[in-house]
Amino acid sequence: MQEQDLYNAEEGSAEDQRGVWGGSADGEPDRELRVPGKAERHGRQSRTKIAEEKRLKEKKRVTPPPSTFQRFSVDTNESLHFEPYIPSDEDEPRSPSFRGATVFSDEVFEEEGETEEGPPTEDAGGSRVDLKEGLGGHSERDPPDVFCMDCKVPTQASQKLFGPHKDHRVIQISRAADEVKEDLQKGMHKLEEQIGLMENFASHLEEIFITVEENFGRQEQNLEQHYNDVLQALSQRNEQGAAQLQDDKKLKLEALYTQLLECGKTLDVSKELIEEAQQIYRDEDKTAFLQAVTPALRRIEELSQDESEIKLSSSMDFENTPVDFSDVKQMMDSVNILPAPSAPVINPQVPNSASSTSARVCWSLFSNDTVDFYDLHYHPVLDDATFTGLQAPDALEIRVKETYCTVTELLPNAQYEFWVTATNTTGVSPASEKAVYMTVPSPPIIKPRECASCPEAALIRWESGNANPVDSYTMELSEIGAEGGANAVTESIVAVPTCECLVQLQPGRHYSICVRAVNIGGPSERSEPIIIQTTGTSFHLLEDTAHPCLSISSDGLTMFYTDEDLPLSGMVFSDNTFARCVAVLGELIPVRGKHYWEVEVEDRTEFRIGVAYEDTQRNGFLGGNSTSWCMRHVITPSRHKYEFLHNGWTPEIRITVHPKRVGVLLDYDAGKLSFFNAHLAQHLYTFQCRFLHHVHPCFALDNPGALALHNSIAAPAYTMFN
Amino acid sequence: MALTQVSSNKCCGGFQKVFEHDSTELKCRMKFAIYLPPKAESEKCPVLYWLSGLTCTEQNFITKAGSQQAASEHGLIIVAPDTSPRGCNIEGEEESWDFGTGAGFYVNATEDPWKQNYRMYSYVTEELPRLISAHFPADPEKMSISGHSMGGHGALICALSNPGKYKAVSAFAPICNPMQCAWGQKAFAGYLGPDKSKWETYDATTLVGSYSGPQLDILIDQGRDDQFLSAGQLLPDNLIAACTEKKIPVVFRLQQGYDHSYFFVFSFINDHIKHHAKYLNA
Repeated sequence: MQEQDLYNAEEGSAEDQRGVWGGSADGEPDRELRVPGKAERHGRQSRTKIAEEKRLKEKKRVTPPPSTFQRFSVDTNESLHFEPYIPSDEDEPRSPSFRGATVFSDEVFEEEGETEEGPPTEDAGGSRVDLKEGLGGHSERDPPDVFCMDCKVPTQASQKLFGPHKDHRVIQISRAADEVKEDLQKGMHKLEEQIGLMENFASHLEEIFITVEENFGRQEQNLEQHYNDVLQALSQRNEQGAAQLQDDKKLKLEALYTQLLECGKTLDVSKELIEEAQQIYRDEDKTAFLQAVTPALRRIEELSQDESEIKLSSSMDFENTPVDFSDVKQMMDSVNILPAPSAPVINPQVPNSASSTSARVCWSLFSNDTVDFYDLHYHPVLDDATFTGLQAPDALEIRVKETYCTVTELLPNAQYEFWVTATNTTGVSPASEKAVYMTVPSPPIIKPRECASCPEAALIRWESGNANPVDSYTMELSEIGAEGGANAVTESIVAVPTCECLVQLQPGRHYSICVRAVNIGGPSERSEPIIIQTTGTSFHLLEDTAHPCLSISSDGLTMFYTDEDLPLSGMVFSDNTFARCVAVLGELIPVRGKHYWEVEVEDRTEFRIGVAYEDTQRNGFLGGNSTSWCMRHVITPSRHKYEFLHNGWTPEIRITVHPKRVGVLLDYDAGKLSFFNAHLAQHLYTFQCRFLHHVHPCFALDNPGALALHNSIAAPAYTMFN
Repeated sequence: MALTQVSSNKCCGGFQKVFEHDSTELKCRMKFAIYLPPKAESEKCPVLYWLSGLTCTEQNFITKAGSQQAASEHGLIIVAPDTSPRGCNIEGEEESWDFGTGAGFYVNATEDPWKQNYRMYSYVTEELPRLISAHFPADPEKMSISGHSMGGHGALICALSNPGKYKAVSAFAPICNPMQCAWGQKAFAGYLGPDKSKWETYDATTLVGSYSGPQLDILIDQGRDDQFLSAGQLLPDNLIAACTEKKIPVVFRLQQGYDHSYFFVFSFINDHIKHHAKYLNA
């Protein structure tokens, strides 16, 4: 877009120029920006010139000038599409030298005449010159066959030996053209880069322009706001003071008036009393006088004691209460400084922005704030249940200049609360809202012992690898090619809710499978991969079903019934444990189809090998019920006996060679369970039965010994004939 | 070596045919039955030789055993020869059902008057395979052999005496140890004379003891209610013991309730054809 704009501007649509430059449409930057466009045009012509020169040299004799000319203009039109082209320094000095070469040729002038007789065109000026140059480079008498790279002049090979180009680097014209073209190309690229840089710089300037303009606008607003605030505050004070004075005046006058009234009353009473006393005084009767005088005297005495009233009840002074102008002063002071920033806005977590130990936190500020730095505060969000009564941990703090920060050294699959404050010279902003970010989980750990596979599918199980629950898991499969290298991930299964996943596979391949744990923060690293080969069926023994006397090797593939007498009290039975038959189940992948496995047995080992429903009676013997099918080996004093037991019944079958390795083929679709002597490829017996549910391989030892399970064996071809 | 077609019936996509020819070994006109599976129309197929029991002709097996379906599926040719030379006009030939006509016992007789014609061993192991290879799309490298009763005995001795010749062997209620049973003693004494060392070369249980060659895998079915089993004519235990001793793999299935008839054969023929197919089609 940017490029387009620039070229549009070059085409002369100055009205379209953007606001940034609006104020200074004729300013320097504009002119500079136009230059590349112009140069491009010019360059385009120059290049066409060169191409045409070459062509003319080849075609001149057979092609009449008008058609040559036409070709030229067609070419020019074709080349109108934009392809930044920069005139290189070589172009300019070269043209004159071409001309120089023509001077000595007479024919040139004749031909030139012919050319001029051709039809005139609008673009005649430039192109005719080009033609002259082109023709000038060609001389019938001594055609230049080489090119001097030092002088940039075409010349003859002979001149290399004797002429002015004696010690110069002289090469074939065609090669010279290629080399010069290459130089030209380089120059073009250089200038293209410069254009790119300049364009970037221009857009950067534009941004700065806008920002500065906005900042000043904001400052103006601020200033106005501040002065308004101060004036408002002052006028408020004025009103307050006036009202206060009014109130004081009223109170004082009222008090004085009341006192005046009371004085009047007292005067009246006093006067009455004097009159009364005078009357009594005048009384002749001594006895009556004495009788009346006593109360009068008491009243006079009372009245004369009220002298205290003859004082101002309150002070009539004007109390000059000091007015607090500190806030106004502060406002005045702050008129010229920045306001403290307002609270930044913290962004919610963006997907894939966290790792298991780090998180990238982003926030933004209100555009009219000036901020020197931010403080990012955070602390882990603790599970209430776990940490009740414990003090919340202290918040940690990071100071950054940017509006983002990658916080490291976090715990995996944990929630952290983040908040930000912004600070500038004036002060600290309030804190932002708190945002909860989550680190991605630790990678899960695949449990190879609990994985199972068959030619069509694999059952993968893993441990979360995280103390807290995660949202889901993603399983990634890649096929391992014949050359051993793992291909790119060929399939991903996402949103696996639990720690296991059954996946369809192609038979006869090798797969590398790994798991990621996923939470809101994103997916974890990959787990260690497990290699699954779909050559055969693979499973492990279910240790929790094993009879206490049966021990299982660490690889989960060999079971032992040791001779040692275990006291019954030392045996631990659970609901899932075989209690009578010294047996164990294997966990077959729950996929119908065909499954084959082999069991290595010893001559003297009495065993039962077969399949059973998962819920087969733990109290019974394998083959003795309707939920299990097995081949049993019994040693009688006279011979080895083989039974093929189901529901307690066996056909009578004699086998002359004791199988050292028993092959078991379970075919759900055909409803068959077959046994083989794997070493001899000998078919021993086939049960016909419809398995309604999935069955598990079962193994039992009826006397001390061992059985070794062999996995991942493709069912041999001979097993198809049974 | 000219063959004359006696009958041809389409069966299970292929053809069940009977041919007649002049046997050089037996010096008489012999019939044999051959089942050609559909696959034989386009390519060579392995051949399973079926040896029938006492009194049988080539007809019993092809009309009663129901082998054609499985043979068609697995692409096997099944050849069922007659059980003895016919019409040789030897004195006493027709006197008993367990000796002479219909009771060749798959031996090469050494005694007069039988030794001219009663060469069933050479007939089934040499002449017949040559004939089949020459006239039918049969793969001469892929042969196997099976049989019932006396034919079971025949199948076992052919396989044990010719290591590698037959890719697989199986039997229904075979006479496992003829030297120890009445049928065998009568036949061997008649065809081979009193020298018991000669008998041994036609006794499966004895042959097991001296067998050395490619691994065999012998499948034997035996009806439990077979009157000849209880009569001591079959003696499978002796063979099993010998095989156990020599570690020759045998799966011997004692099938509850079954007798000696072709109903028994019919019931398990599929298992046997699969057993042969496993080795012939490997």
